[in-house]
This record gives sequence, C-alpha cells and structure tokens, in this order.
Amino acid sequence: MKYFAGIDIGSTAIKISIVDGKKNLLGSRISASGSMFYKYAQETLDALIGELNLNKNDILYIVATGYGRKLYKEANENISEITANAIGARAAASEFGEIKTIINIGGQDSKAISLDSDGNVVNFAMNDRCAAGTGKFLDVVALKLEIDVETLGESHFKSTGTPLSVSSTCAVFAESEIIGLLGNNHSIEDIICGVHYSIAKRIVKLVKRVGVKEGIYFDGGPALNMGLVHAIENEIGQRIFVPSNPQITTSFGAAIMAVDSYNYENS
Amino acid sequence: MLNIKKKINNMNLIRFRFWFQIVAFALIVYGGYIGLDLGDKLPTFACVFNGEGTGGKCYVGMLQHDLKHPFETFIGYGGFAFLISLAMFAVWFWVLNKAWCGFVCPLGTMQDWLTTLREKLKIRFSEYSWASRGKIKSIKYILLILLLIIPVMISNSVLGLPKLPNGLSMPFCDICPGRMLIPAFTGNFNQFYIDFTSKTDLVMTLLGMMILGIFLVGAFVKKRFFCYFCPMAALQYIFSKPALLKLYKDGSKCTKCGDCYRACDMDILEIADDVTSKNLVTEDCTLCLKCIAACPEDGCLEANFAGKTIFESTKEGFILRMAMNNQKESHE
Amino acid sequence: MSNTSHEIESPNEKQNRHKAMEAVKLLNTLREDFKSPILSMEYFYDLFERVYCKHESLHEGKTKIGTMCIQIPSEIIYALDGVPIRLCNGFYTDDEIGSDFMPQKACPLVKATVGQFASGNFTDKPDIVFSPTTCDQKTKAGATIESFGYKIYDVDFPRTKESEASREYWRRSVKQFAVELSKFQGKKLTKTNLEQAIKKIGYAQSLYHKISEFRKHEFVPILGLDVFLITNAFFFDKINNWIEATEKLVNELEQRVRNKISVSGKVSPRIVYTGSPPIFPNYKIPQIIEESDAIIVADETCSSNRMFNDMVAVDEWNIYDMMDSISDKYLKGCTCPIFTKNDDRIRRIIQLVKTYKADGVVYQAFAGCTVYEMEQRSVLEAMEKAGIPILYLESDYSPSQGGQLSTRVEAFIESLKTRRRNKK
Repeated sequence: MKYFAGIDIGSTAIKISIVDGKKNLLGSRISASGSMFYKYAQETLDALIGELNLNKNDILYIVATGYGRKLYKEANENISEITANAIGARAAASEFGEIKTIINIGGQDSKAISLDSDGNVVNFAMNDRCAAGTGKFLDVVALKLEIDVETLGESHFKSTGTPLSVSSTCAVFAESEIIGLLGNNHSIEDIICGVHYSIAKRIVKLVKRVGVKEGIYFDGGPALNMGLVHAIENEIGQRIFVPSNPQITTSFGAAIMAVDSYNYENS
Repeated sequence: MLNIKKKINNMNLIRFRFWFQIVAFALIVYGGYIGLDLGDKLPTFACVFNGEGTGGKCYVGMLQHDLKHPFETFIGYGGFAFLISLAMFAVWFWVLNKAWCGFVCPLGTMQDWLTTLREKLKIRFSEYSWASRGKIKSIKYILLILLLIIPVMISNSVLGLPKLPNGLSMPFCDICPGRMLIPAFTGNFNQFYIDFTSKTDLVMTLLGMMILGIFLVGAFVKKRFFCYFCPMAALQYIFSKPALLKLYKDGSKCTKCGDCYRACDMDILEIADDVTSKNLVTEDCTLCLKCIAACPEDGCLEANFAGKTIFESTKEGFILRMAMNNQKESHE
Repeated sequence: MSNTSHEIESPNEKQNRHKAMEAVKLLNTLREDFKSPILSMEYFYDLFERVYCKHESLHEGKTKIGTMCIQIPSEIIYALDGVPIRLCNGFYTDDEIGSDFMPQKACPLVKATVGQFASGNFTDKPDIVFSPTTCDQKTKAGATIESFGYKIYDVDFPRTKESEASREYWRRSVKQFAVELSKFQGKKLTKTNLEQAIKKIGYAQSLYHKISEFRKHEFVPILGLDVFLITNAFFFDKINNWIEATEKLVNELEQRVRNKISVSGKVSPRIVYTGSPPIFPNYKIPQIIEESDAIIVADETCSSNRMFNDMVAVDEWNIYDMMDSISDKYLKGCTCPIFTKNDDRIRRIIQLVKTYKADGVVYQAFAGCTVYEMEQRSVLEAMEKAGIPILYLESDYSPSQGGQLSTRVEAFIESLKTRRRNKK
C-alpha cells in the first residue's frame, strides 16, 4: 500500500496526518512541539505509524509544513503553511461546500487566507502584532482567570451582562487589564466573553483585509473554543465552518500535497 | 452685612422701581401740598406749571428763563448767578446721575405706566432699527441747542439776525408734554389750550398739543419713546462723568448673551456688546438698572455709588427674578 | 455553509452589543477607578447603563424631537409637549457605520450621528429631526440622513452674531421652527406652556451652575468626567428625573465641600477643557487627563458649559418677548467656532481659567472638525499672550490611540505641576 504523511510543525504543537493514495485521511496525531522539534516530530510520526499498524516504509512521501518545517530534514518536500492550509481546508470541507476564506488561529499567529474558486491562494494576511489575537492570548487569559483553557467556550455562553472588552492589543498589557477587572469583582464570564470579542474583532479586521466572502473555514487550536467561534460569527455577521478536528487541517493539506507530488514525480 | 448685600442683589428690581417711581412721582407732583420744595434746579421734569402741587421745579424751564436776558446781564453778578444755578443743577444731578430719568422723572414714569398697560394687553413693543436708532440720537442735542439759543435771541441779536418775539421765552416748555400732563394730575387742566393771541403762540401751543399726542401714542408702542429726544438727557449727559452713581461693567465676565440689551428700554447696544469700557452710562442710559437685574453673570454689571457697589448682577438674583427657582410642577 | 449551532446576532444586535461594550467600559472606569466616589452619581451611571447597555427606551408614547445641535430651543419643544433628543453621538461603533456615508476625513461626531441614522437603531427613535445649519458637516449631514427616509427640517442659522440682520434672521428661523413643530404636534404655543418650559429649563440650568460653583473650591468635590456625564444625560433623559437626580447631587456636593472631600490630590493641576465636545462614551481625553492626576474644573464645550451657561432672560412675559429671548439666547451667547470671528470664545476661556483658578487649558479637536482645528491657532496665541499654558490635541473616536495621547497629556500635566512648584 501507498501512504503519505503531512507534518505540520507549529509553535505549540506538532500535527501529523497520514492519507492513503486516494487522499483519504487515515489518522492523525498531535503532540506538543516543546524544545526539540525534530525529535518530537519523529517520535510522533513513529507513534502514528504504529497506531495505524503501518510499516514505516509504506510512507512514500512526506511533506513538512509549518513554522518548524525546515528543521525536519527527513521530509521529501516542504511547503508553506498557507498553501497547506488552503489545500487541507478545501478537502476537509468538500462535502459541505466551497471554501472561499480561511481563518486560522495558531499558537503564535493568526491568518486570513482568501481562495479563488479553484482553490488557489489569491491573498492572505497575517497578524503583525505578537501574541495579540492568537491562541497564546487565550492561554494567558485562562491562566489569569485560573481556569482551564478548554472551559473558556463554555463560560462564554454563561455570560449574562455586557461583555467587558479588553482594549490592549498586547497580551502582557491585557493581562493587567484583566487583573483590574477581576479586582472590581466583575463576572468571569463577562470578562471571557469580552476577551473573545476582542480577539474576534481583531480577526475580522484581518479577514476584511483579504475580503469577506461567503464560505468561511475556521481552523487552528482555538477553533475548538465555541465561544470564540460564536464571537467571530457575530462580528463577521455570518456562519462559519469549523472542522471536527480543527487542529490538523494544515497537516492534512500537507499530506494531500504529498500524494500529488508523489504522483507527479512518478508519472 | 453680607446678608443685606445678598438681599439687595436678589431683589425684584421691577417691583422696587415701580414703587420708588410712585413715591418719587408723588413727591414731585404733589409734594408742594405738604410743603416740600426742592428748589428750581431739579434735573428732572418737575413742572413749573404745576402750581401749588409741585415739590420742586425743573431746571430746563429755569434755564430758558435765565437765558432770556441781554448779554450785558451775564457780565458780573448776573453771569455768576447763572453759573451758580448751573452748578446747583449739576450737584443735584451728580447724586443720582441718570437715575433721575429712570427712577424720578414723572414723564419717564408715565411712559413706564403706558408700557405696563401695553404689556398687560399683550401687544408687542416696537423697536427702531439700529440704523434709525443711530440717526435719532442727535435730535436731543438739536433740541437742547434750540432751547438754549431761542431765549437768548429774544433779547439779543445773534449774528445780526432780528430778535425773536417774547412768546418764545420758554420754547421747550411750550412743546413739553409735561406742561400739560403733570398739572393734570393735580386736577389742573388749564394747560390744555391753544393760544390764538399771536402767530408764535398759536404755532407753539399747537405744536405742544401735537407732541402730547405723539408722546402718548409713542410711549404706548415704544418703551421710553420720548426719552430718545429729551434735551434734558442731553444736558445731563454733559455732566455725567463725575456723578456719584455709576453703571459699571466688567467686560471680561460678559458672555455677550444680550440679556441686558433686551431688557434695556432705550435699546442701548453697548451694554451687551461693549466689553472694554467700564463706565456704561451712555448718553441715552436712564440708569433704570434693568440691565443689572437681567444679567446672569456674577458681578458683570453693577450699580456703584461713590466707589461702593450697591447692586450687582448675580446668578442667584437672576434666577429669582426670572422665577426659575424650584420648579416643581410636572412637565411630563 | 456552517456546522455551528448558535444564533448569530442581527446587525442591530451586533451594533447594540458593540455600543454596550463601549459604554460599559467607560461606566466601569467611572464607577471604579477614582477615589471618593459620589453616591448620587449612581443614578447617572445607571441611566447610561439602562439606555446604552440594556437598550431601554425612556420616552415610550411621547413624540421625540431629534435635534442635531444645541441651537434648537428645547424650551419650545417642551412647551409643545415633545421630548428633545439631542443626536450628537460619541460611539465609535456608529462612527464606523457612518464612515461609509461621509468623507474619510470627516468629523467622527457627525459620522457617528449619520451612522446611527443609517442603522436606524435607536432606543428612542426621533419622530422628526430639526437640523440647524451650524457647521458644514452637520448642515450637509441633514440631507444624507433624509435620504435614509427620515423627516428632516432645516433651521437656518447665521454664521455671524454681531449684526442686526443675523439677529433678525435667527429670530425668524426660530419662529418658523415653532410653527413647524406646532403643526407637527397639533398643539398651540401659549404664554403658559412656553413660560413654564422656560422656567423649567432655567431651573435645570441653575442646578448646573450650582455644580459649577462647587468646582471653584480648592477641594474639588466632583470629577470633570462625572460632570460631562451629567450634562450628557440632559441630551435624552426625562427632564424631571434629571432635575431630581441633580438636586440630590447638589446636596451631596454641598456636604462634600463642607467636609473637604475631594476627588483630586493636593497638587493635581486644575484644567479647563475646551474644543470638540466629549459625548458619551468618547471621554477619551478627559479620561486621560483625570487619570493622570489632573482635574477638570471647568469646560468650554457645547455638550456641557455652552449648553447650560446662558439662560433665557425675559423682560415681558408674553409670547413675543419670550420667543425673542429664546432666539437671542441660542445665538448671542454662543461661542461655537462656526462663527466668523470668535473673540468671545477666547474671552470665555480666559475668564474660566481665572474664576476656576485653573493651571492650564487642554484644547481638543476632533480630526475632521475643521472649525475647531482652524480656531486652534488664534486660541493658542491668545493663551500665550495671557500666560496660560495650553495643550492642543487632535483625536478621534478610535479606541487604539491611547498611548501617544496619554504621553502628551501626562507631560503637559507634569509641566503644570512643576510650574506650580516653582511659583511657590
């Protein structure tokens, strides 16, 4: 059998997807990227191969992507995460409709990608301001509020008052703003809701730079936070599509790319 | 002391002035019956024709009379006596300054009564346009010059012109509405006549009748109608600078809101728009002090007597006078 | 295309939420960030929260008369049984909406007003709007708003105030306004209802003057921010409620002055604020000032001092004179920079500095508010001549500008402190 792997080495996590020759997703695995990208990537890939009962030699082609992609020397090819994300998103959402815009919030950056009807990237924008509007921001907030980052979404919907906005773009300053709000006994839910809307507004601004179109796909770790999803939907004024496993879209895209590259090289 | 000051500043000036004018009117028109005699150098229209009732006499009448003498009389004692009279007039005037007009003058008071009547009838007052207002300003000076020159020309040939007939010895009194109106208040209607004895008398008495009519109608439609033309005001203004009672303005506090201007019966624009002068007693001012009462700025306008503030504009006083305090009735 | 389940906000809901977020941010700051809070201010905080966060309507069943500027006499509106709603708007949310209808460099206040009309989203929607032809942008905005399907009535306003012609012109405009409104309301203007309205507003103004009086003290008992909020509330609140709340506030302030309770420190520089009006919730600059240990003791802006300072003074309490008095009040005392020359405004600022013993002036103009921007030069020159320190700032409604503005304000305030120390 022929198998192909896509490895996405991000700032906070390593995501690996394996597909077969027909580009069907067989499995994926996520692990923290930590300090040694290469080592962890290798370990994760081995684990995934084991999990799927495959032979290491069955993996015919590996495409690496993401922030740490150049560190993974074993890869047959490496592509930018923008391209990989676009390919992955279109494939993941193929049964729902056509994707025109992708929002990706990662651990340390956020992106908006605009696609044409053939799936080519026509424009993209990235946040240019540090941790603002990224997953890191949410981590900081959760840490300050002493709650688990996974429960942020749940808390969002419990908010009854006016969302309390956090105006600082900088995660460090926002932290002190949140401490101020907590000091005055404001409800944690209203604060969380406000934080989500602050991020959402920033994200929507990013999307507007590439043009808001119907068919919005949202991926990256923070897409698991339904509160944030809701905030973005409200800010952008339309529904968005969140894949069931939003973290692996890019690695999935890379894996698909691996199939294509392999076929191209061997044709 | 502070309390008294506050009370004064909070007073209802309109009412105070209304009663003050009535008392002044009574003293001047009926004072004679109780033996009051303030002399004949009064800087107000205390009519000499009022007979026994009058509490004093108008200097303008006196002045015309004094001037009806040959020039020679004024050399030596005669001239000295003339100057004494004039000085007496000035001294009287300096006490109240133009407030003689705004608080004492019986003709002024009568006009104010007509204004009240009109107001009660809810008829709007008339105003002069600013341009005509500027033009009529000089009329009072022309009248003053005439009333000074005509008597002189009776006994003297001025610039070689022929002497004037004796009938013109008190030319202003002939046409002054006070001559007829003031005695009428003591039941004396003898002044309502037309004198056919000579052409001069006929013309002058007829003119007097006409002016009386204009006075009554004018004062009804225009506040203080007659005062714009009053030669007494012109004569007074010459002596106004050293007077004790003053109307001062602190221009830095003025917002030019124009409240004072609208309260002013004499439509004196400077009161609102002049923010540099301190002394605001202008030629037509009657020192009625209504402007102070209508001013909402603390200490912007004040009545000052011999260097002491006796009444000044305050926010508090303004609100009380406009009855803007404590509005409880619902507007929902 | 979607796989999510929660309801998405309608555009109006979104706008409301954005405005609520703007509002609550300022209200929380006012409630929490300053020392010795005033108890009776809670009415106003709550009022703004009800209107702008919970979107409560205050005047159900009443005819709401929208006014685009302070020159439309509320006395006449109240006399004719309407509720005046001043439409000057301080929300960034609405400013952004309005940006689509106006030039990019236009004034944020006008843009926000237009934006709100474009959205049609009001808690108390005006039934008719009267727009005095004051500044260019407001004048032209009327037509834009009309194109959204609102009933707009222009009220001619002169650009000079010294001449007889302008006075007559404006008197005629006000009369015409009264006629139009009377027709619209089907009610006649009478001596009684007009007199009552004049006196009621006069009383409200007298309360403002009382508050101002307290601000002259060495121990300033109330924040400038709070005063802006009180005067802003007058734009839309039920007048009787406003009066009652302000009466309470005056009593409390009296107590505070007696007990020497101050919201400022001993060395806090005293500031006179002038320029484009701070309209809720755009209190950006006042907030920076008072958060930098200075205190605003007086202002020369149309949302506050200019609206309350001059009172209608009537000589003969008949309609003819009341109408003239009202007209004159709204024209003659006005120090709006739309007038040709404006020595009056300079005199007013200097006078405020003197009577409120201020250490300096902060002059803020909205970027795009051409008249204030133009007048800045002459005011700065005059202040320099009078030896009064002044800081000129340009700002807009965007929430992100804070950093560099606060640096400038802080530096100015520090310089005032140094001046004061050196004087001693």
